[in-house]
Amino acid sequence: MGVQRTITEINAKIVQKTAIALTVTEVKQRALTESIADIAATVDVITTGTFEPMESTGAMLNIGHTDPPIKIRHCWLDDVPVYAGLGAVDLYLGATMPPEIPPDGEAQERGGGHVIEALIAGKSVPLRATGHVTDCYPRASLDTSIRAETINQFYLFNPRNLYQNFIVGVNGSDRPLYTYLGVLQPTLGNAVYSNPGAMSPLLNDPDLTVVGIGTKIFLGGGVGYVAWEGTQHFPLQKRLENRTPIGPAATVALIGDAKQMSPDWVRGCYFKHYGPSIMLGVGVPMPVLNEAVVARCAVQDDAIVAPVMDFSIPRRVRPTFGLVSYAQLKSGRISIEGQTVRTAPLASLYRSQRVAEELKQWITAGDFTLTEPVAPLPSDRAFLSQDRIDTAMRLDT
Amino acid sequence: MKKRVTLTFPRRTVHMPVTYRLAKEFNVAANIIRAQVAPNQVGKLVVELLGDIDEIDASIDWMRSHDIIVSVTSREIVIDETICVDCGLCTGVCPTEALSLHHQTFQLQFTRSRCVLCEQCIPACPVLAISTTF
Repeated sequence: MGVQRTITEINAKIVQKTAIALTVTEVKQRALTESIADIAATVDVITTGTFEPMESTGAMLNIGHTDPPIKIRHCWLDDVPVYAGLGAVDLYLGATMPPEIPPDGEAQERGGGHVIEALIAGKSVPLRATGHVTDCYPRASLDTSIRAETINQFYLFNPRNLYQNFIVGVNGSDRPLYTYLGVLQPTLGNAVYSNPGAMSPLLNDPDLTVVGIGTKIFLGGGVGYVAWEGTQHFPLQKRLENRTPIGPAATVALIGDAKQMSPDWVRGCYFKHYGPSIMLGVGVPMPVLNEAVVARCAVQDDAIVAPVMDFSIPRRVRPTFGLVSYAQLKSGRISIEGQTVRTAPLASLYRSQRVAEELKQWITAGDFTLTEPVAPLPSDRAFLSQDRIDTAMRLDT
Repeated sequence: MKKRVTLTFPRRTVHMPVTYRLAKEFNVAANIIRAQVAPNQVGKLVVELLGDIDEIDASIDWMRSHDIIVSVTSREIVIDETICVDCGLCTGVCPTEALSLHHQTFQLQFTRSRCVLCEQCIPACPVLAISTTF
């Protein structure tokens, strides 16, 4: 049977500052020489982390009412359009929204992610808004500036974060391609992978056994929670015997108070000729309820694979050059059809490790207790696409 | 000794076979790091001069006497460590592996001596942490 623990028991130890937490990297190291049972007997929590671009990220803001009040219908934060089709002064700022620049203005390499970072850093951000004049809301426009501390709510609500595995991008064409994985050089000049591999949170709980709705996490340097399944959640992806998926699979929606967050862990970013995005640090604790939790966290980079995709084919389903392991990817070189191709990560492996270490510190110091999930994440979602038959393109046969 | 210099050629000297003259007259080997030369336009050459210290100095004087602007403080790639997030995306576009990730910590390392100033890393950086001096 081995060791059995409950979250309540682990939390009691955390509060007494006697809980033993290890980063998932430390667990993988120990698993090379120690038995799973021995590790499970001595460890209460295993911390995982990632720091990578997560496009489906955004901030909910309530700026408070003006006098006279305004029902905002169009709004820009530092020239970046914000969604205002909610309550009068509720706004949603998406990380990948580019700024609206006047026709004669210079193109800017920034967007929603940079505005979110600036607000988290405590900076003042200009706000421009127009309203729908009604008897309740007589004001027609607003020109002001806001800071995190001058608005009511400021929280991240990210519809899709923490992709459980992803793809490796290459370019088989003869011109550079500018993608969400950065520049892909022609004739297989480089390969980019975006998942940190074995240290990535959801690859250490492949069937989402301990992570569920309500799981408390490290989000951008503050406390957050798993709110729901993520968009494009695809748990039915093909899996290896160790249950890790061979491509993009589970995702989660995350929520957390941005006022607690730090620009160290929330960074606006920009991909040349692709657009703005945001890089986010997310850490997930794995409670050692039994030996199986440790066994799953012991998975190594050589036992997790990702598909190599050719981005030169402008289709939803791109041809693949087969699967490569994260051990190969992290070695800096992979072989594609006999050609040696240099690899580069897009996730910061260094910062991913630091997220796991930071969360371990919080737990060891008694500052971060764990939660029991309130509902499981679905395990049977299909992956639907907008396919339609384009009759104009069909050849008569 | 080795000295890295940037040479700017006014239009009328672009046709001059400079590296040949450096080798023949001063016994200085000019290793071309980067070149931007076209007929009838101002040309730029980043070269590493290898040879005797006096001869390198003499060769620089000679180039200057032919109106070639010799800048000893050559353009360099600079990485702002307060902005860099060590994602490593730049390492995939760096042709000489001057930019690499530490094999254990995965922190970004920059080996200046290997850099050929191709500047491909600058647009590749998603947080705009890479620039050049002047």
